[in-house]
Amino acid sequence: MKVMVFVKANADTEASVLPSEQELRDMGNFNEALVNAGIMRAGDGLKPSVNGARVRFSGKKRTVIDGPFTETKELVAGYWIWEVASLAEAIKWVKRCPNPTGEESVIEIRPIFEPEDFGEAYTPELRAKTEKLRAKATKQINKRKKAPKKKR
Amino acid sequence: MRFMIIVKASRDSEAGAMPEEALLAAMAKYHEDLAKAGVLLDANALHPSSKGARIRYSGGKRNVIDGPFAATTLIAGFTFIQVKSKAEAIEWAKRMPAPHGEHNDCEIEVRQLFELEDFGSSEAIERFREMGVASER
Repeated sequence: MKVMVFVKANADTEASVLPSEQELRDMGNFNEALVNAGIMRAGDGLKPSVNGARVRFSGKKRTVIDGPFTETKELVAGYWIWEVASLAEAIKWVKRCPNPTGEESVIEIRPIFEPEDFGEAYTPELRAKTEKLRAKATKQINKRKKAPKKKR
Repeated sequence: MRFMIIVKASRDSEAGAMPEEALLAAMAKYHEDLAKAGVLLDANALHPSSKGARIRYSGGKRNVIDGPFAATTLIAGFTFIQVKSKAEAIEWAKRMPAPHGEHNDCEIEVRQLFELEDFGSSEAIERFREMGVASER
């Protein structure tokens, strides 16, 4: 099963306090263990909500609200996607993770839907379409990876 | 620049209600458009929090708390895109079909991802780069 593992924000992550070299090294060791165990699919840190926005959907209307957002504890600061055998295995791995913010932190583990979970509404036609899309997105990503890195 | 479009949970998504076929079709079309434009990186939906858990870090201790959790603080799904600007990310976010159906008001959140360059250069950052995580594709 695939799980998404969220690191919740705190005052430091929202204030854009970057991790120290030691913290980066500890997290690097943990990530290396995940890669070596073959469970790591993806992982990233999110910039503070001041760099982000929200789009509110109300009927047909879409309203853009710029960050920052105040409810720090509800915000996400980072995530991983892992391929594990069970929730218990994911919990075991999270317990090995260095405290991600250095203070009081919370990490949340959430299983990801697989195609079969959607039942009949997810028709074979829609499913085939999604699989084609995934293949296309992966192809684009691989193409970008091979291309020489653009200067930003 | 990479962005994560976050769909918040609703009472229905937390109750395990599945989206209707029309909404699934609209979402498929939207993601098809993202892929056609070459900006789609990944997209996934999350099971209700009753199937998840939290780990709390406090004073060197780790405590496991089983779900479900209060719906207002939860995420139901996410789409990753790679675009040129925040404005472009917001344009795409506005085109998303209302994720819980047109009659259910909600918010989605657009958040920029850190790139490894943002952390300066160090041996630890080089190791992240070698692992192939946290970088533009």
